[in-house]
Formats: sequence, structure tokens, C-alpha cells
Amino acid sequence: MTNETPIFEAKNIVKEYSGHRALDNVSVKVPKQSIFGLLGPNGAGKTSLIRIINQITAPDSGEILIDGKPLQREHVSQIGYLPEERGLYKKMKIGEQAVYLAQLKGMPKKQAKQELMLWFKKFEIDTWWNKTVDELSKGMAQKIQFITTVVHRPQLLILDEPFSGFDPINTNLVKSEILKLRDEGATIILSTHNMGSVEEICDNIALINNSKKILGGKVSDVKEQFSEEKYIIEFKGTGVAFANAVWGGWEMVNNKQLGEHHAIATIKLTRGTQLNDFLKGIINSVEIQSVNKVIPDMNEIFIRAVENKSIDKEEVVNENTNQDG
Amino acid sequence: MGKIGLIIKREYTTRVKKKSFLLMTILGPILLVGFLVGAIWLGQQEEKDLEILVLDDTYVLSNTLLQSEKYHLTSSQDEDIENIDAGKTFLKETDQYDIFLYLPGNIVSGNASVGKLFYKEAPSSNVQRHLENIVDGSIERLRLKELNISNEDYARLKNKVQLHTIDVVSNEEKNVGMRAGVGFIFGLMIYLFIFMYGIQVMKGVIEEKSNRIVEVIVSSVKPFELMMGKIIGIMFVGLTQFIIWVMLSLALTTTLSLTVFPDLMSPENVAQTTQVEQVAVGVTVEPINTDITETGKEFQDLIFNQIPWGLMIGLFIFYFIGGYLLYGSLLAAIGAAVDSETDTQQFMLPVTAPLIFAYIVAAMAIENPNSAAVEWCSQIPFTSPIVMLVRVSMGAEGLGWAIVLSMSLLIATFIGTTWVAGRVYRTGILMYGKKASYKEMFKWLRHK
Repeated sequence: MTNETPIFEAKNIVKEYSGHRALDNVSVKVPKQSIFGLLGPNGAGKTSLIRIINQITAPDSGEILIDGKPLQREHVSQIGYLPEERGLYKKMKIGEQAVYLAQLKGMPKKQAKQELMLWFKKFEIDTWWNKTVDELSKGMAQKIQFITTVVHRPQLLILDEPFSGFDPINTNLVKSEILKLRDEGATIILSTHNMGSVEEICDNIALINNSKKILGGKVSDVKEQFSEEKYIIEFKGTGVAFANAVWGGWEMVNNKQLGEHHAIATIKLTRGTQLNDFLKGIINSVEIQSVNKVIPDMNEIFIRAVENKSIDKEEVVNENTNQDG
Repeated sequence: MGKIGLIIKREYTTRVKKKSFLLMTILGPILLVGFLVGAIWLGQQEEKDLEILVLDDTYVLSNTLLQSEKYHLTSSQDEDIENIDAGKTFLKETDQYDIFLYLPGNIVSGNASVGKLFYKEAPSSNVQRHLENIVDGSIERLRLKELNISNEDYARLKNKVQLHTIDVVSNEEKNVGMRAGVGFIFGLMIYLFIFMYGIQVMKGVIEEKSNRIVEVIVSSVKPFELMMGKIIGIMFVGLTQFIIWVMLSLALTTTLSLTVFPDLMSPENVAQTTQVEQVAVGVTVEPINTDITETGKEFQDLIFNQIPWGLMIGLFIFYFIGGYLLYGSLLAAIGAAVDSETDTQQFMLPVTAPLIFAYIVAAMAIENPNSAAVEWCSQIPFTSPIVMLVRVSMGAEGLGWAIVLSMSLLIATFIGTTWVAGRVYRTGILMYGKKASYKEMFKWLRHK
């Protein structure tokens, strides 16, 4: 990673609630102008961390740095927060409460109104300004909530499940707005269980489980780290010829016959066998058509990391944190 | 404008713009004045004339009973009615009479004589008292004759002593009971406002918590600022409503007293209604009227001279705000600790109990303003906002230290409760689904 100061850094955060440790020595770095996935099962401690960033609660120990400076009250106006549990005043006019929330973030009233009108137009809800939330559909309310989170142009956006409640069209709208905000200079911390969107838009991730960070780094690095020596080989020839070509050093994971002399085999190399050596072995027996490395998707990584965090995985984490630093 | 200012403004404007606020603010004084005028008007209403059938077993009383314009007495002999059952049947079966009065033979002899009043429609207590007075008068006159006492001698015998209460410090003459009554009305208003607006604070907190907007807001402002903004905003709503009520009530009463009922609001009339009934017994010595004008003057004097209005209003505003802040902060903490309004009950009781107790003590203070209970309760901050004004209305002389102490205690206590409430609030608003207990809340106090 670059030497640039990260926009957000958490150092050794510890937070306890009456006997229960919600965050155990968690360190995270988020580089500027990136999208950071904060992942973890329910109750892992994500919300605790998010609340600490928002200064809703204070950590028991550890330090939060925003752009290299310790977190302070003044940073409130530079942070936008979309909580997982959405809420608006039900009886207050939408426009008014959007202005109110923007003012609480430190925006002058007039400017807040202007900017909000632009956002309302962009989301095609400008006719709703004088309606109340009671009259709105859930998706509409979600849109307003998203707008109120970003209208004050925060440097750091914290979005907790931003796509929940949206239909695919609006999900895309929000997704493209998030990417646009990133391109304009904002940094986004995205907390979600939607691994597809993590894969799609996140640059870096941290995975928290049982109050501890168990995984972190660039999405591509994490994937590399979790990939095994598994390959998908498409070939012409018989399965028997393929299976007998090389003795030892590999296992057949899956073999799918496409035609009489056409198959796709998924193999796993063991005992340090190199792909090249394996290919050299089979190349005389079958006609290789394609070779692809199996790359695990985030969903799989999430499940594997959470379910078997064995001792060597912890080591991987440490290695990884060192890489970050 | 600071962020707390924004919160106060929102709390204030959203409430003041509500239709229910407008309705309450305008209807309140109309109902109040209407009620007052109605009461006075009703009190002045002539009751309808009554036809009364009298069965007199003494044979001597009925001739001496005084007739009056409103009460027409007819002897049962005129209707050929001989006994009580015939009288009852006659009353029941004809429309001629409203009331059947039965005077047994022994009514003249004993001291606690009992007659019977049969009715179809229950007579008012006024009618009952009036008839009792008439019969009493007749019996008295009979006995005067028996004992050979002249009316003049009797008038000399019948004495009426009045004790005027005078404060030895200020050397002023005071009407203790009425003054305490005025103080009680002030206390009552504080009681009502604390209840009305304290509950609004609690509901507002529950609303923000249950619709989850609170998490967004506390990411912009400190929970304590949000809580204080709400409490102060609602306090201004209360003050606004109160000021409008006072002004509207004054305007309404003035207009009404100048136009529709020119003399209805005169002190004489007001006094008369409070006086209820002053029918003279037997031989009337004093003219009734002097009594009424006397009370009227007293009332006037009380309103315009005796009540220390400046001090009362100043203290009213202080205790109103102090009491409201104390209870409002506690109710805000309750709102933060629960998930919905239905869960509030177990926490409400310890908060409302002292408030209701204060109300009872204040009501008692009208009778006995200097009791130990009143003195104590005017110092204890949980009751002083309601009780102290009753004491002050009796005259502030010599109360200086007591007022200062009570005010200081109130200030110290609401600072304390606000601190405690802030701590409970801060943790409570972000806790969902977990039923808070006192033990839990106590833990929250120590959270970092």
C-alpha cells in the first residue's frame, strides 16, 4: 500500500460492555478514496466499531485517527452515517427533516436546501418534499435516508447495509452514486452481508468475528490468500487417460463429462506439485483446451474464515496486518 | 445557531405547529372562562318556584311558617289529607305539588327534631336548607313566645362574632384560607404542566428511539445535547401555551365583564356564589346584604392588595421551570430505558407518586398552611414546586430563608437528576429488545 496517510485508522481498539468484550484489540486502516468492506457475522462487533467512529460511544482503549489526527467532535461534519436500522420522523415533512439533519451536520440552512433539491431531483423524488414519511413507501424512505447521509459531502461515509430494502434498479442507482462519491474523493466504509456487492465494489476488507479482526487487506490479496491449488482443466480425451497420466501429487475434486471425449476436471495439486509439471504429465495423454485457477468468492471466504479460524489462520491475520502497516 | 439550538427549535416548532396544540391553546381559556362564567351564572339563577304540601302533626307550626316568593306552602288540611301515606300518594299521583313536607308531632319538643321531605325530583341542598331554616324559625318563634322573650331581647342574645386574622409582622389583615387557595391554584397549574409536558418529553424520547432516528442524530450531536434540546424545547412550548392561556383568559374575562355580563364579574357577585346561601334564621337582625358586600370587599382586597403578585409570578416561573426540569429529565430517562410506551408503567410510579403526594399536601395546605408537612414538602425538591407557592401566597414575610433554601435545593436536585438522566439516556436510547431493570440502569450510570 502507498505511504499516503490513511483517511481512517483504528489502532488496537478495545471496547467492553458489562463483562462482554465487543471489540478485542481491533486495528483497521482505510486508505483514502477507497471502498472498504467491514464484514463479519451478526454480533461480531461491527456496530460497536461503527458507533465508536461516530463518537456515539468511546473505546475503552485504543485510538482512532481521521486523516492522521485523533478523532474529535469537529469530525462529525466530515462523517456521514447510514445506520442499518433506518428511521425518520414520521410526522415531519421530508424536506424539513432532511434540512434539519443536514444542519445538525453543520451545513448552513440555505446551502442544505439547495443541495438537497439537487439530490431529490437526481433520485426523482423532488415532488415529495412536503410529504411526510407516513405517506412514503419503504424504498422512498430509504432513498431519503441515503441522501441525508451524503448531502453534507462527508470525507468518510459509513454505510451499514446500504442496499437493503432497494429494488434492483435503485440498488444500481445507489451503487453508482457510491462509486461516484468515491471518485469525487470520498472514502466509504461499507458494512454488509451482501458478499456480491463486496466483490463488486470493495477495494479492501476487514473481517471481524467474535470481537477480533480475523482477516484483512486488499480484496484481491485476500482471495489469493484463500485460493488453494485448485484448477479447472477442460480437455479432449478420456477420463481414464487423464487420471492415469500423472501418478500422485494431485487429487480429482470433480470430473464432469461433457461428451464422449470431452470433459472438465477440477483438480487439486498436493505435496507441492507445480501446475507446469502436472500439465507436462497430462499433455501427452489428453488435449488441453483451457486451464483456469479456481478463485474463491467472498461468500466462500467469509464462511471458511468464520467457521474454521484455526491457529494457522490467526498467523495469516498477523502477517496480513503487517502487510497493511 | 448551535446544534442544541437547532434541536430546541425543531422540538418547539413541530409541536407548536400541530393542530392539537392550537386547539388546546385556544379551547383551554374558552373552556376555563366558560366554566367560571357558567358557575357564576348558575349560582345566580333563580330556582323555580316550588309548590310544597305541608302535613303538620303539631297543629301549631304550619300557621307560623313564613311564606316566600319562591316557596309556596299549602297546609294539608286544604287538600283534606290526614296522614303521611295519604300525603305521599297525593304527591305521587298529582302534579300539583313538588314536595311533601311532613312535620311529626314531636318536632317542637326535642332539640334535634327530625322532619321528612318527600320529593319526586330531588330538591337541591339549597331548597332543603331553606326549608330547614323556615321550620327552625317557626320553632324558635314558638319557643320565644313560650319563654316570654321579646324579639329585641332575642336579637341581643343572638350574637355573631367574626375573627379577623392579622399578621403580627406586617400588621396586615389577611384572609388566610382564600390566600392559600390562590397559592393552591398556582401549585395546581405547575402540577398540571409538569405532568402534561413531562409526559410529552417521555413520549418524544420513545418516538425517536422506536423509529430509530436517534442513531442518526446522536452521530451528529451528543446524546446529552439531544436530551436537553428536547426538554428545553418542550419547556418553551409549555411556557408559550401558558402565556397564551393567561392572556386569552384575561382578554376573554375583560370582554365578557364589559359587554355580556356587566355585573357578573363584580366582586359582590363572585363573593355571592362562594357564599352560597345566607338565609337569615328566624328573626333576622342584620340585613343579609352587608355580609355579602363585606365578603366581596374582602375578595377584592385579597385579589388587589394582599397577594404578593410580583413575587408569586416570579416564583411561579422559577418553580415551574425547576419542577419541570427535574421531572422532565427523569421522564426522559424512562423514555430512553423502554422500547415502547406500554413498558413505562413500572418506572412511572416512583416518578408520579411524589408529584401526586405534593398535590395532596398542597390541597391540605389550604386548611392548615403552617403544618410541619407543608413546611417539609416546601423544601423537598420533588414536592416544593407545587407546595411552596401555597406558603408564599400566605405572605412572604419571614419566609426569605425558606424560599432561598428551597430554590437552591431544587436547582441542585435538577442538576443531579439531569446528570443521572443523561447517563441513563445515553445508553438506553441505543438498547433495543432488552428490558431495562433498575439494576441495569444503575450500571449504565457508570459506563464510560
